[in-house]
Parts: sequence; C-alpha cells; structure tokens
Amino acid sequence: MSVLDFDYMLGLAPILLGYLPLTLAMAAAGMVLALALACGLAVIRVLKLPGLNGITLLFISFFRGTPLLVQLFLFYYGLPQVLAFLTQIDGITATIMGLTLHFSAYMAESIRAAIVGVDRSQTEAALSIGMTNGQLMRRIVLPQATRVAVPTLMNYFIDMIKATSLAFTLGVTELMGATQKEAAGSFLYFEAFITVAVIYWAIVELLAWCQRRLERRLNEAYRR
Amino acid sequence: MLRRFTLTLLSAGAIAFCGGAFAQDTTLRVGMSGGYFPFTFVEQDTLKGFEVDVMNAVGEEMGAEVTFVTANFSGLFGMLESGRIDTIANQITMTEEREAKYAFTSPYVYDGAQVVVKEGRDEIGGVEDLRGKRVAVNLGSNYEQLLRELPYADDIDIRTYESNIEQDTALGRVDAFIMDRVSASQVIQEKPLPLQLAGQPFSEIHNALPFRDTEQGRALRDEVDAALEALREDGTLTDISERWFGNDITRP
Repeated sequence: MSVLDFDYMLGLAPILLGYLPLTLAMAAAGMVLALALACGLAVIRVLKLPGLNGITLLFISFFRGTPLLVQLFLFYYGLPQVLAFLTQIDGITATIMGLTLHFSAYMAESIRAAIVGVDRSQTEAALSIGMTNGQLMRRIVLPQATRVAVPTLMNYFIDMIKATSLAFTLGVTELMGATQKEAAGSFLYFEAFITVAVIYWAIVELLAWCQRRLERRLNEAYRR
Repeated sequence: MLRRFTLTLLSAGAIAFCGGAFAQDTTLRVGMSGGYFPFTFVEQDTLKGFEVDVMNAVGEEMGAEVTFVTANFSGLFGMLESGRIDTIANQITMTEEREAKYAFTSPYVYDGAQVVVKEGRDEIGGVEDLRGKRVAVNLGSNYEQLLRELPYADDIDIRTYESNIEQDTALGRVDAFIMDRVSASQVIQEKPLPLQLAGQPFSEIHNALPFRDTEQGRALRDEVDAALEALREDGTLTDISERWFGNDITRP
C-alpha cells in the first residue's frame, strides 16, 4: 500500500466533481448574503449609528468569537429543540446561514477598515465642492474603498469555500462528505484525500487568477 | 409582503406541528454515517452495506418508503433529537444511558468489543494488555465507556477520533483501536491495512435501532420492531448477514 492507486483516484475524481456544484453553490450564496450583511454592519460601525452600533458590536463579537462548527451545531441541532418550526430548516440552508453570519462578522471589519482608510482629505474636498453624503460615498469613498477591500474579501471567499466542508456534520453530502464516505468504502484514505485536496486547490487557484485580473482592473487608475 | 411573510410562518408552523406524523406514515427516515464498513459505506457513489439492506427490507415489510440521510456520526443523534430523522441504523449499541433516553427496538445484531492492533504487535494479546498504551475509539461510540469501566482505566491513554481510527492504528500513531468484532474482522479481511485482532472480544454488545422516546416515536418503534421480528422469522435477516459476513450475526 506504499504506492498510490492512481486508477482509483482517476475513477474517484469524476464522482467527487459531481458534488462540486453544491459546494460552490453554498459558498456563493453565503458570499452574496454575507457581503450584503457585512456592508450594512460596516456602515453602522463607520457612522456609529446610535443603538444599532452596540448591537453590531455584539453581533461581530459573537460570530467572530465562536467557531463556525459551534455556530452550525447551534442553528441545526440546538435551536430546533427550543423552536420546533426550525426543524424545517434543512442542512444546506443551515450551512448557508452559518457561513453568512460567521463570515459577515469578519468581512464587516475589513470593509469598515477599507472605508476608514480612504484619506480624510478626500471627504473634505468632496464636501467643499458641495457633494451630498450620498454622492460622497458613491462617487469618492466607495470606489476607493472597494479597491482596498477586494483582496481581503476574496480571501474570505476562499476560506468560505473550504469551510463548506463542515456541512457533512449537518448531513449535507458535499465534496468532503462524499470523499469521507467513498474512503470508508475503499479504505484508500490517502488516495481519496489527495484527490479532494487537489480539487479544492484547483478551484482556489482558479479564483486567485480571477482575483488578479479583477485587481488589475481596479488598479488601472493608479498605474504609472 | 407582511401578509405573505405571516402566511409562510403560519404554514411552516403547521407543517412542523403535523408534519412529523404525516411523514412517518409514508416514509421512514434513517440516519447513518456512510463511513462504517461494511455496515454503511459508499462505493462508486452508491450507498451500500448491511444496514442499508436491513432497513430496505424493513421498509418493504412495513410498506413504507425508506430514505437514507448520511451525516458525520457525531451529528446523527442531534438529527434524531431534532426530528430530522426517525432512527439511526449505524450499529448503535444499547447502553443504560441510551436506553433511558431513547426507545429501542429489540437487538438485530449481537457482537463483541474487539481490540485491534497493527500487524506484528503480538505483545498486545487482548484488553488486559492495554495498560500504558494509546487506544483509539470513535467519538460518541460506547467503546470509550467500556474502556473507562476497566479497573485499570486510568493507565490507558484513550484517544477519541471523529473517523479513521483504523488508519491511525496502521500508521502506529496509536497502539490499538476498539471496534466491534464483526466489522474489525471485515476490515482486516477486505482492506489493505496491516492490522490484526488482539485476543477475544471482551464485552457483549447488542445493537438496535433507537427512536425518540415520544408517543409517536414509540409507535413507530413498535412497527419497525414487528417488521424486524417478521424478517428474523422468515430468514431474511440471516440471509442479509450471510451475504455480508459469511455467518449469522443477527442471533445471540
């Protein structure tokens, strides 16, 4: 068993790839929702909206301060014991919910940092020529903040793709769950886990390539 | 918009309220790990194993449709508790604690706890030689409990694993693992891991299907129990066991 069983790996890869769409769909849905939520949280934090600011701080503190797996168990197994109708939430929905809340807490902070990082003189200049707050945000601050935030947000997206591998604990057979079950049938653990590692790696590399292209476009105005 | 939301919420509540009973009349939702050869495992994307065959036979006998839900073992009891599955078919051993909490069918597998070591580790000849050794057990399984009940339990370094205890024993990261005799023999016979049985089984094990200890759960348990009894009498259980193990593990 010292030699890798390549035939097995080649046979396994197409089976595992069949579960990739679910993995990507959960990550994509989680990313869109987390991004929307994080933007809201970041704005609240930047403007220090009274009342909401405190709740936001608590939210970020909790979802950043507890492991994702704990949060998933809480949503999926814990809450339904208190609120029976939550039993209707399936594993996929619970995973997306978990990813959204967990990663939005992180992303809110990196978006806030990007907004705050835009030089104050820019704001002053915009206000001095009579821009409204909305115009200031839309035309001056957000385009510059986006450029700063993209690399870290892509980082979170990559992390999120890999975090979907926790979903098997909630009964969702995604990429990792499928691998574990196939490995249990063949006992070729090394082969099975190498195969799945290569699949994750390839997907993340593909994303990194997209990220480089996106960054180049966002940086066009800054090129000398 | 608000009305639609309220409606959705109401219907969700209604489904939650009567959904359990309705679903149980037509389908039996069975949870398993899909990672316990040869009881439940996947080959070429197909769920197979002794448990799968038994539960399909039970479904046929009851006239119910069986749906299988696979999840990590550590999630299975949570799924049972929260009503997402009706029972667990994963060689669940009857223990005092579990029997206090769940409604079990009568046992359908009789087995023993077995010490397994890496090939060539002949100095470990059974459970009595585990003093000062690292021993792996699966998280949430009852083998940890069995080890802790030994008089010299304090001298055993017990490691709990989510999965892959066979692999880690073969790698020499632990000195031994505990599993039921039936699947341990199967693993050694069928899989390319250098492992051997150490001595005789050290504790008798009865495996059965747990249901929620509610009126509904107990009613379903009785139905499944009757189906199991019928399958035992007409020899189906024996047939399934012979097919997977070459002998009958469904009788004491």
